Amino acid sequence: MNSFSYVTATSPASAHELVGADGRYLAGGMDLLSEMKEYIAQPKVLVNIKSLPALNKIQPGDKSWTIGANVTIADLEDHAELKKVLPGIQQAASEVGSRQIRNFGTVGGNLAQHSRCWYYRHRDIHCLKKGGDMCYARHGDNRFHSLFTGNTCISPIVSNLAIAFGALDASVIVLKGGKEQKMTIDELYHEAWRNPEAHNSLEPGDLILRVEVPVQRTKSAYLQMSERSDFDWAIVSCAAAATVNGNKLNQARVVLGAVSNIPYQVEAANTFLEGKSLDEATTSKAADLLLEKAHVQPFNGYKIPITRALIHRTLMKLVA
Amino acid sequence: MPSWPEKREYIGSHAKRIDAPAKVTGAAKYPSDVQPEGWLYGMIYRSKWPKAKIVKIDLEKAKAVPGIKAAVFAPRFDQPDQTSRYYGEELAAIAGTTKQACLDALRLIQVEVKEMPFVVREEDAKEDTSPRVWDDQPNLSKPRLKENGDVDKAFSECDAVVEGFYTTPVQLHHPLETHGNTVSAGGDEITIWPSTQHVVGARNDLAGHLNVPQSKVHAICEFMGGGFGSKFGLGAEGGIAARLSQAAKAPVKLMLTRFDEALAVGNRPSSFQKIKLGAKSDGKLHAFELDSYGTAGYGSGGASGGGSASPDFPAPYIYKVPNTRVKQSTVVVNAGVARAFRAPGHPTASFGMESIMDELAVKMNIDPVELRIKNDPSEVRRKEYTVGAERFGWKEKYKKPGSSVGPVKTGIGCAGATWGGGGRGTKAEALVNPDGSFEIRCCTQDLGTGSKTVIALIAADLLGLKPEQITVKVGDTRYPPSGGSGGSTTTASVAPAIYDVCTKALAELQKQSGVEDARGANWAGACKKLGITPLTVNGQWQEGLSSSGAGGVQFAEVEVDTETGFTKVKKIVCVQDGGLIVSKLTCESQVNGGILMGIGYALYEERVMDKTSGVVLNPNFETYKLLGLSDAPEIDIVLLDMPERGVIGIGEPVTIPTAAAVANAVANALGVRVNSLPITPQRVLDAVGKLKNIVPAAAA
Repeated sequence: MNSFSYVTATSPASAHELVGADGRYLAGGMDLLSEMKEYIAQPKVLVNIKSLPALNKIQPGDKSWTIGANVTIADLEDHAELKKVLPGIQQAASEVGSRQIRNFGTVGGNLAQHSRCWYYRHRDIHCLKKGGDMCYARHGDNRFHSLFTGNTCISPIVSNLAIAFGALDASVIVLKGGKEQKMTIDELYHEAWRNPEAHNSLEPGDLILRVEVPVQRTKSAYLQMSERSDFDWAIVSCAAAATVNGNKLNQARVVLGAVSNIPYQVEAANTFLEGKSLDEATTSKAADLLLEKAHVQPFNGYKIPITRALIHRTLMKLVA
Repeated sequence: MPSWPEKREYIGSHAKRIDAPAKVTGAAKYPSDVQPEGWLYGMIYRSKWPKAKIVKIDLEKAKAVPGIKAAVFAPRFDQPDQTSRYYGEELAAIAGTTKQACLDALRLIQVEVKEMPFVVREEDAKEDTSPRVWDDQPNLSKPRLKENGDVDKAFSECDAVVEGFYTTPVQLHHPLETHGNTVSAGGDEITIWPSTQHVVGARNDLAGHLNVPQSKVHAICEFMGGGFGSKFGLGAEGGIAARLSQAAKAPVKLMLTRFDEALAVGNRPSSFQKIKLGAKSDGKLHAFELDSYGTAGYGSGGASGGGSASPDFPAPYIYKVPNTRVKQSTVVVNAGVARAFRAPGHPTASFGMESIMDELAVKMNIDPVELRIKNDPSEVRRKEYTVGAERFGWKEKYKKPGSSVGPVKTGIGCAGATWGGGGRGTKAEALVNPDGSFEIRCCTQDLGTGSKTVIALIAADLLGLKPEQITVKVGDTRYPPSGGSGGSTTTASVAPAIYDVCTKALAELQKQSGVEDARGANWAGACKKLGITPLTVNGQWQEGLSSSGAGGVQFAEVEVDTETGFTKVKKIVCVQDGGLIVSKLTCESQVNGGILMGIGYALYEERVMDKTSGVVLNPNFETYKLLGLSDAPEIDIVLLDMPERGVIGIGEPVTIPTAAAVANAVANALGVRVNSLPITPQRVLDAVGKLKNIVPAAAA
């Protein structure tokens, strides 16, 4: 990697000041350091934010839970009460990387991580996402790539937590230009939908501070399908959340991961599920609505049946 | 004729590895750990082009980086206008005092190239219209034809004929310790610490590279982290390390990165196998035809220690068919070349042949185990099928293909393997000290398979001592020589030499001490009588203590989720013939490892080449997927006890039939076959018809 200077921030404001135009924030470092080793990221300054006060707490609440950006994925995975109240988040956390990675990786880092596209990550391929002029995946091996995109890049979002947070209608509090700003999950990622070079909507210097997760939906669930049972990226992931009365869903949300450059939701699917009791036909119709605009690439068509299976299974978990 | 003792306390036992504490505590020093005084990091600059004329390489800026002590060209590339034939080929190298200095310097090497058209995928390369890898020959070789009997007539005589097309991927070598060496060639004393499967060979190789007498070179490899057939020669990286060390006049440690491993240290060739098999109404095989091609990379993947690395494989594998026609071709692509890979050719052969056998069983409505027992010429394997089927519960578990209900289907399958093993030629010396300590020295190598433990257990039994009383020294060219560890020959080659040297040491000790039986309780007293001079004895491999030819069969049980395409191997039963088992614990570890590697071949492993850029797309463990613990099945090992056959060696046969057995189990579960390895979710979903109506949009 290139040489860089290293400073430790003592407050979000000082972090923002120190990071400047060429800096990056260092928390768990799981993604950033590997990008630096491959010269994909070449920051001049690393601002250590690990010791920022209060960012490493999980705070339960009656209306919403607050999860600090520096909370580790392992903390989420191990939190007994969170597992009861927001099981979708706990399940999504437990599928992140390996336990070693979860011990270091943080909530903020998981949300802000960059594409894992094997063209983007290759040291000698200068693809569209890196400012090149071509999406190699579109012309090459796109077995792990997106079914939905608003631009030419088809690398999918791989953050498990973004998918689970999306289903629960969470907000992300971001320090933007020195001011706290509340963003929806959609807002946090919409830039990646339209801009091939973007991984999310964060701009240089933006710092994720915490996530607020409303608890109004009584049930949540997350499932992913990977080639291996453990320590593997999702081929497709799915999160669902709803308030369940008897067998009926209210305020249901279904979010798909690893099939688009954003956590993928279809409002019509959510609306369709309102007040429904779940059965095979209902989940199948929801899947139809979610997959309606799928744009299949030569090698990723198998994601369609997997997505259908996951939508069904995740929804059924809500009423299990 | 010598023979193994009837009464065996340690031989065949579950005695622990004698070097386990050293490995667990980190006291064991691997070639990657060695740090001779003043050592430098070495790193290789590799071609970034799948095919290119390398007009000129400029190392000057790299040399100027602080800390860089040497920069050299790779062989051939010190001349201008050489052609580089794959992404990853070695072009130049540097040595420096820190890793970062080397990384910085690599980025400053400037190469002037003329890019040339290339082809990286077998299916493309075999077409005449594709760019040629070598200008003077087509990419697809003429088929090598072997014919027995009148095949066309024989097929017309068959009562059942089945046909299939099966493919296997290029499987990459990824030993846990990457390839590399530490070389000190800067002065008169030349020392190499290679991560190698053949310490003596490494010494000879280095002497050749440096054009010095072999006696000048000292090679040391006490521990190493796996080779699987890819660490016989020093490799390009070994020669380059020597060049760097000479240029820098300092020791150079050049260990490859995981990224490098995916490119340039060998692989198992791919295969594309068109097979036709016919049988008479009694189920006896009568006619067989194979037309196959595969790639060993840009070259032929010729012979290397431990077996061939050519894309050819034995056919019709373990079966005897009276009429056979076998046509095999090689197709070259712009990618790294093959090297011998654990049982070269066999897993590939097994997958195709055992798949078509099951197709025949289905067509003839014969139980797959019965069909094999009917046709397998090996008495040992027929017995193993009977033993294994009983143990596995084959009869109770077997259902008609595709009859499993529900979305998650279960299935079972089986397959057989053959291997040579055996081995000869090892020499060893023993040192008996007056204080009773006993040392054996032998320049074999322990690949992690347990060679040191094997030596200790034999000595302990022959001398009536405990294994921990035996000091075992291996992996040093100052000890008596042994051969390379390939072809599952190490134990069969080493064990008889240890028998010999221990027997002779005991006899000599008894003679000199006057103690009639110096074993066990009498050992220390007898040694004391030696006075002050230790006793040394030499021994060597003897006929009669080892043999060759190992048969094995495996049974697999799988669960396949037909909605997601996910395959889980639930259980493997392995019945393996290994003659006299010396160290049961490390032997069982070999079996476990072979099976896990076989599952990797069945379900996950595959080098993915990108046709546009020519690079390996999965040069890391994130996307080159190896089996993880959560996907490891229950493994039940039955070692047929045949001590009368002597030592054989089983490291390779145990990995052969796994993928075929798993593939047959998947086919049994689904009622339709996945014809290609690895059996990915995509392929399962395709096989069960879930992709029928999914049409890709045209590429943008």
